[in-house]
Amino acid sequence: MRSLVRWWRSVVARLVDPRRLEDLPVVVQDYLNAPVPAGRLPWRDVPYTVLDIETSGLDPRWDSILAIGAVDIEGGRVRLDRRWYSMTRPPEPSKVAAASIRIHGLLRQELAQAPPLEPVLLELLSRLQGRVLVVHMAAIDVKFLDRALRKHFRVRLRGPALDTARIGGVLLHNERMMSGDDERPRDTTLRSLAKQAKIPVHPQHNALSDALTTAQLFLYQATRLQKQGKDTFHKLLRVGGCLK
Amino acid sequence: MEEIARFLLGIPPFSQLSPEQVEQIGNEMQIEYFPAGENIIVHHGPPSAYLYIVRQGSVDLLREHEHGVQILDTLGEGEIFAYPSLIRNKPPIATVRTREEVLLYLLPAATFHQLRRTIPLFNRFFATSAIERISQRLQAHDANAAPELFRMRLRDLIRYRLVSISPDASVREAAMLMSQHDVSSVLVESDPPGIVTDRDLRNRVLAAGLSDATPVTRVMTSPVLTLPTDSLVFEALVTMLQRKFHHMPVVEGDRIVGMVTHSDILRQQSKNPLFLPRQLQRARTADDFRAYADQVTATVGSLLDAGARVNDLGHVASVAYDALVVRLLQDAEATLGPPPCPYAWLAFGSEGRYEQVLRTDQDNGLAYASDAPSGAAEYFAALAEQVVGALLASGFPPCPGKVMATNPEWRQPLDVWKSYFEQWMSMPREHTLLRVAAFFDYRPVYGSLEVESVLRPVIRRGRENRVFLGRLARVALRQHAPLSFFRQLVLERSGETRDLIDLKVRGTTLVVDLARLFALEAGCPRTNTVTRLHHCVEQSSLSPSGADDWWQRSN
Repeated sequence: MRSLVRWWRSVVARLVDPRRLEDLPVVVQDYLNAPVPAGRLPWRDVPYTVLDIETSGLDPRWDSILAIGAVDIEGGRVRLDRRWYSMTRPPEPSKVAAASIRIHGLLRQELAQAPPLEPVLLELLSRLQGRVLVVHMAAIDVKFLDRALRKHFRVRLRGPALDTARIGGVLLHNERMMSGDDERPRDTTLRSLAKQAKIPVHPQHNALSDALTTAQLFLYQATRLQKQGKDTFHKLLRVGGCLK
Repeated sequence: MEEIARFLLGIPPFSQLSPEQVEQIGNEMQIEYFPAGENIIVHHGPPSAYLYIVRQGSVDLLREHEHGVQILDTLGEGEIFAYPSLIRNKPPIATVRTREEVLLYLLPAATFHQLRRTIPLFNRFFATSAIERISQRLQAHDANAAPELFRMRLRDLIRYRLVSISPDASVREAAMLMSQHDVSSVLVESDPPGIVTDRDLRNRVLAAGLSDATPVTRVMTSPVLTLPTDSLVFEALVTMLQRKFHHMPVVEGDRIVGMVTHSDILRQQSKNPLFLPRQLQRARTADDFRAYADQVTATVGSLLDAGARVNDLGHVASVAYDALVVRLLQDAEATLGPPPCPYAWLAFGSEGRYEQVLRTDQDNGLAYASDAPSGAAEYFAALAEQVVGALLASGFPPCPGKVMATNPEWRQPLDVWKSYFEQWMSMPREHTLLRVAAFFDYRPVYGSLEVESVLRPVIRRGRENRVFLGRLARVALRQHAPLSFFRQLVLERSGETRDLIDLKVRGTTLVVDLARLFALEAGCPRTNTVTRLHHCVEQSSLSPSGADDWWQRSN
């Protein structure tokens, strides 16, 4: 029986990755093997990591990850003592466009001295192990991370994850329905949602600050949904889940 | 992260720390979001594991009884809670419940204790809370000062940035000056001086459709209510809450030297868990009023235990009890309709002297305008009935000598009061003096009737009346001091209090009586015993060393 399980796992692993699972770094193996939190859990009992990345542009094929910021949520509380921030060295720091520097404020020479992406990704995966990823506008960040993981380890970014922009969109839609007021804002940018939720907006376009704003926005949204009866992790995923 | 540090730097005690220290503290914080109506910590529940700082929204401090919920205070942005429980590792003294959705910063207990150990400023801030002081007192018997609000005087609070403008100026110039100095009020140098505030510009200029060339003198408030620089901050707060205004000019002699705003004080108050005035504002039922009076008594009692000066406390307690009386009178006016003529609610005895530390008997009376229309007597009878009744319900026992406004003898037109005083002074019979001495300590508590200019001159004439002063002295000395001069305690020999000392009767009466006597001799209009002694040193037969000696004794 146990050998059967091992065989099945290796088949799965090969489907996931043409390389053998055992050949991957332990951190990556642990990341892939960690159980997913049960859907019936109250949302506060699930461990989350809220993530934001800064990139040199919007296209993962040409642009690179420049910085990653993350903060954990444990027991429904943002843990500032478990925050994490790292810059990463792009393949060609000199080619980071001046236009993007104006947004993220990371200088070419700072980036040139930052660690390369692979060890940063390993650190990230060790932090994500067994936790649910929360991202604002997941489409972009997830695409970048997924591509980076495939390139370096031939594995995919694991779900489930939550997108605060999606949750925000649903909440705004519900409010429009309830009030019958079609003029209410539809803007789901981080800044706009945070302001509507009356939570403090941390300085923008720093990966850690944005992760922190996202984390507080997430607490607000989950509390709101809880009041509407959507109090479990499963129900939260149905509203704002991504990366199944 | 910087945003959190920036926020913390704006609130005490973090505002007293260095930016580096605050940044480090910020790094240890946790953030939690609560829906409305949720308990964060529970009265008698498990000790708090965090220090909580309100970042957004507001919470109620409350206690639940079988007959309902008593809200002790409401805390808003930048206010801190749960530290009494955290410091003593004891169950919370009140439940904290969210009033609306709330974003909180949480400092874990271990970090909090480590900060108290390593940063003296941080530790001192939490050590100045009344609760801590009292618990320290219980442990160490050496507390020696009351919390800031009960100790701080306006002079400690005023920021000398009085902005004033000439009476010829226009409202536009006033507005420009205010915006230039970033202040919310400006003093108009008219005679008497006036004050123009943000609110006046909105309500009396913009909303009234006046042009910006309107002279400031047309929209200013004048004359203004002022308080001397040595008034307690607490008194200023109560006064402002009562009158619903936000600016209080502070005077030194008769010169306005500064302006204290409501928010200056509340900022100060947020450091202290003393929530009495706001609780009174919120009170609606007889139970609420009783709870308020209980709270005053309890607070004052614990401050007394904590070693506060009795004279300060008497002042504080009188201010707090006055606030209650004023509120009750306003409620009575609301039920009975506006008074038919001006009147004044008078306090006598210990309350008149600002010495009512604990809840003592009611000693009050009512004077109304001498030219009162018919029907006034009935109105004031009903008013007195309602207020004295409410005071009884709030736990103030009736005066055994029936010196209360419900007694028609002490609810009279002002000219009758004047004749009372004249009679007492011109035909001073000892047994009458014994009974009426407390009337010389009268103090108007509320009402628009100007009593002082009628009664005070009568009393002042007592100065020349040696017969009167002599009789008063004899009456005072007839009461024995409890120490049969000085070491032996004299215990009551009869009645329920046998073998106990009635300190009120025996201990302080002599000092009080003689202070009154010297004040009358010196023509001093003040009623507080300590103040009287101070004022009388130069103008009566009391020697400076004698005054000092007595001052110590009455403490």
